[in-house]
Amino acid sequence: MATIIINGEDHELPEGEKLNAIQAAKLAGVDIPYYCWHPALSVVANCRMCEIEVGQKDAKTGEIKMIPKLVPGCQTPAKDGTVLVTDSAKVKEHQRMIMEYLLINHPLDCPVCDQAGMCGLQDYSYEYGQANHRFVEERVINPKKDVSDEIQLNQDRCIMCTRCVRFTREITQTGELQVMRRGNHAEIGVFPGHPVDNPLAGNVVDLCPVGALLDKDFLHKQRAWFLSKHDAICTRCSTGCNVKAEENKGRLWRFTPRNNPLVNDYWICDEGRASYKAANDDGLLTSSYAKTGGNLASTPIDQALKFVSQALGQVARDGGKVAAVVSPFLTVEEAYLLASYLKGLNAENVLALGPIPSRGEDRTFTPDQTKGRTGDTSFVVPRPFTIHAEKCPNRRGVEAVLAHFQGEVIPFDAISKRVTSGEFQALYFTSDAIDAREAEAEAKALRDGVKFLVVQDTLVTPLAQLADAVLAGATFAEKAGCYVNADGRLQYAEASLPPRDGSLPDLDIFAVLMGRAGGPARSRDILAEVASTIPVFSAADGGVLPEFGVVIGQTNGQAAPELVGAGGRFDDPWQIPRYLKGDRPGEPGPKGGKNA
Amino acid sequence: MPAFEPVLTRNFAVPDSQTLRAYESRGGYQASRKAITEMDPDKVVQIVKDSELRGRGGAGFPCGLKWSFLPKDRQETFMCVNGDESEPATFNNRLLIERDPHQFIEGILISCFATKAATAYVYLRFEYIHAFRIMERAIAEAREAGHLGKNIYGSGFDLEIYCHRGAGAYICGEETGLIESLEGKRGWPRIKPPFPAIEGAFRKPTVVNNVETLACVPHIIERGADWFKSIGTPKSYGPKLYCVSGHVNKQVCVELPLGVTTRELIEDHAGGVWKGRKVKATVPGGISMGVMSADEMDVKLDFEDIKKTGCLGLGTAAVTVMDDQTSMVDYLYNTSRFFAHESCGQCTPCREGTGWMYKIFKRIKAGGGRLEDLDVLTMMANNMGLTPGTTICGLADGAAWPVKNVLAKFRPELEEYIKKNQSSKPLVTPLQKAIAAGTVAEPVALGGRVYPAPQPALRSPGGS
Ligand SMILES: Cc1cc2nc3c(=O)[nH]c(=O)nc-3n(C[C@H](O)[C@H](O)[C@H](O)COP(=O)(O)O)c2cc1C
Ligand code: SF4
Repeated sequence: MATIIINGEDHELPEGEKLNAIQAAKLAGVDIPYYCWHPALSVVANCRMCEIEVGQKDAKTGEIKMIPKLVPGCQTPAKDGTVLVTDSAKVKEHQRMIMEYLLINHPLDCPVCDQAGMCGLQDYSYEYGQANHRFVEERVINPKKDVSDEIQLNQDRCIMCTRCVRFTREITQTGELQVMRRGNHAEIGVFPGHPVDNPLAGNVVDLCPVGALLDKDFLHKQRAWFLSKHDAICTRCSTGCNVKAEENKGRLWRFTPRNNPLVNDYWICDEGRASYKAANDDGLLTSSYAKTGGNLASTPIDQALKFVSQALGQVARDGGKVAAVVSPFLTVEEAYLLASYLKGLNAENVLALGPIPSRGEDRTFTPDQTKGRTGDTSFVVPRPFTIHAEKCPNRRGVEAVLAHFQGEVIPFDAISKRVTSGEFQALYFTSDAIDAREAEAEAKALRDGVKFLVVQDTLVTPLAQLADAVLAGATFAEKAGCYVNADGRLQYAEASLPPRDGSLPDLDIFAVLMGRAGGPARSRDILAEVASTIPVFSAADGGVLPEFGVVIGQTNGQAAPELVGAGGRFDDPWQIPRYLKGDRPGEPGPKGGKNA
Repeated sequence: MPAFEPVLTRNFAVPDSQTLRAYESRGGYQASRKAITEMDPDKVVQIVKDSELRGRGGAGFPCGLKWSFLPKDRQETFMCVNGDESEPATFNNRLLIERDPHQFIEGILISCFATKAATAYVYLRFEYIHAFRIMERAIAEAREAGHLGKNIYGSGFDLEIYCHRGAGAYICGEETGLIESLEGKRGWPRIKPPFPAIEGAFRKPTVVNNVETLACVPHIIERGADWFKSIGTPKSYGPKLYCVSGHVNKQVCVELPLGVTTRELIEDHAGGVWKGRKVKATVPGGISMGVMSADEMDVKLDFEDIKKTGCLGLGTAAVTVMDDQTSMVDYLYNTSRFFAHESCGQCTPCREGTGWMYKIFKRIKAGGGRLEDLDVLTMMANNMGLTPGTTICGLADGAAWPVKNVLAKFRPELEEYIKKNQSSKPLVTPLQKAIAAGTVAEPVALGGRVYPAPQPALRSPGGS
């Protein structure tokens, strides 16, 4: 076992992984501050914040030889016998100096800066900087500019870490951003007519450790510390990117990526980033409806549910069949309850997969390490990122549930034909698709095919206008549950908003219809039930998933070990609120976390 | 000691010295023929190693040793010749190329043979358009005569030389900055390791050498390592082109054995200090190397002795002389402006430090100096550069050294200047104005967590 010595203490290095000093120190609970380093980007060592004292311990004699100079931690491989000193007076003085330098030309506009509260400069000034300021000259004031329709660059705040530039060169390989001019007049910029408009452009905003690159959509809307962050999954395509849904006052304000090395790495696409808006849509259903006297009338949800339950019960008693369209936007748990409910009413009832929205083609971005600067980049693990053409989050999950209940997966077109031909007495249609709405003619045909039509959705669709009952379900933000992405990975999403007034989370709707005992349905309990009844989901045993999700169809025993890195989910330290770091003024930090 | 016989400059005075005919008539391309047809590459490397030829580009790194760092199993090697010569007051490479291009090409030829490089890039400073044209012509001539191209001298060795013009940045003289620039990228030096010998231009093993370094190689092959080592001082062997400029009667570039003194250069070769004045200070090897005071004029200008004066090194051996009427404030103002302008902007200490230094000198010069500025400057100068390990390349050392040396050697003069030059209308920033007016607290008074409060300022800038 390889051992690294950090501040005089021995720590074991994880096997089979190449780490640099920053990563190895983090595993040992020691923070080495940095700005320009990012685990997915080439190492340039230009911010000089991570400099530490480095040495090597002789394996035989045990003698430690230190390099007389400071060395950037990002560039230092963690090997057996490597010695790191991160808290010496020399290192601290260096950190203080870098902070002083970074701030001499930085404006003091934290009160109006969006990054404030999650800013690398703020955090590190507090932790490693000094309170005074010896610079009395005129500052360099670089201009503010637009680098695309969505992104603004406040160049005066930039610290030239070049993470954004490296991102557009190495990850998207579109190379829109560059450094222009020299010295302390250097600026990040784009060529005229070539904005940063690639499909992953928004990530440069998350990469920026300070408030230089800003999302215009979010600009000046919320302060970072008011936002509560919920671990969600993006539902805009079958990649299933892990996101943080940032909520305040009952609204979502933005999506930011959450690291999952097995799915989206550190990124999300711009379409997914913008998709949070659907949760705040003014057109969302705020009431359920039931047909009384030929008209759809707003009805309290409990009555609407009773109405539906009676009507479907009646169909079953009459020996009729119900068809259900199970939307690929439903979670695994919801699909499971809906299927159990309908199959419980009548084993002849038919379940079909909802329409699968699809647009464009799959687009994969494969990081190109040769596009990066040379240097030891062995700690960078290049992983591709794919935006899928299939614009729904849970096709695989719903298919697995349907296959379990009836052995086959009936596509939407087939069931649509059968419904129109009058085979069924009732149709239970679930949706929550943002853009996959049935055309009016198709809606009419479906309507005419059945006696009783239930639509469960979040928006008013043409089909809902024609329904006998409309149940107001939950948007992606209002429900908790699991989705299976294009690679078969089962992942859990937290609810980030409470249910809207007049609506009920879909899981509860099904639970009430079934008459399931035990109060509000919890996704965890139901997932546990799914895991014990459907073999492909057995990896979700007990309703608990590993941090990065699990591939369905494998049991825990079979699952190949997944290379996710020993550090767990990565977050730049300034992204983590201070209170989570246990680091309050006047109190010592967590395990060596506080350096000053 | 036998009289020194110039070799590098021996053709400079010959008519048509740029032509192949003139060069060959004086024994040119004999060394390359000897090396390529009679020796194997490792032998050439060994001879150069034995000669202890040290790089003339600034760092003085042993040339043969650098060549032997190339990986043994390499497929392809590139040679980059550093002709960016942007160090202020340096012009020896220019003369070598303009007056005797074939000597240089022969040097490239032998060095490429030794390092097994089939492609050589000559990176020329943007302003050297004349040298560029001469090189292009000389390369064409040499190719025509079979000194370049395929199967040179029937040995199976191929070589192509390409001239590349820079775009006017000092930093592109730094070896990895040069490589990036050559690759068509922004001239930002790379982190080392890997060194260019392992991964350089186009990610292939690459040798970067200065023009003068390579120009020495044919003579070493022709006359042997022992001849080379008979010239110069211990650890610094061979002839060197010294440039003398500044306040002297005659600005010259002379070839001398390594280890002459500044006094000899000024008195014997540059015709003495102009206007009958005295020397106040000299810059030993381009402004990045620092300054020597008049007392240090008898220090030998070689790779070792010069460090005793606190200077960074020999650099390019371009001596700039300042007479006794030169203000050290002006000197520092100029050097700091140069480095602030040329810093590539990559490393925080260099980007911000050079700019800050420049602004301080500008203020001092304009009559707004404060005594504690000198302490801030010392702190900065001591903490930036490769030496403390806080930057990627040596430009920051170059920016720090003049400041460090002047503060060590001429601090009383600076203090005097600050005290005497308190202009009633200095350059003031809004912040300084506010401090002077008492509406804002002195920033250093606010915290003082790390530093004790500075000595009371002579007078706050902007105050009347
Ligand atoms: C900021 C900076 C500028 C440099 N400029 C030059 C230059 O203009 N010409 C040069 O030959 N070497 C220059 N060097 C030195 C090169 O990095 C390198 O050491 C040299 O080309 C190696 O050649 P040599 O071994 O033949 O001396 C510079 C170094 C630094 C740090
Ligand atoms: S030391 Fe200065 S010039 Fe050299 S790489 Fe860093 S910023 Fe650029």
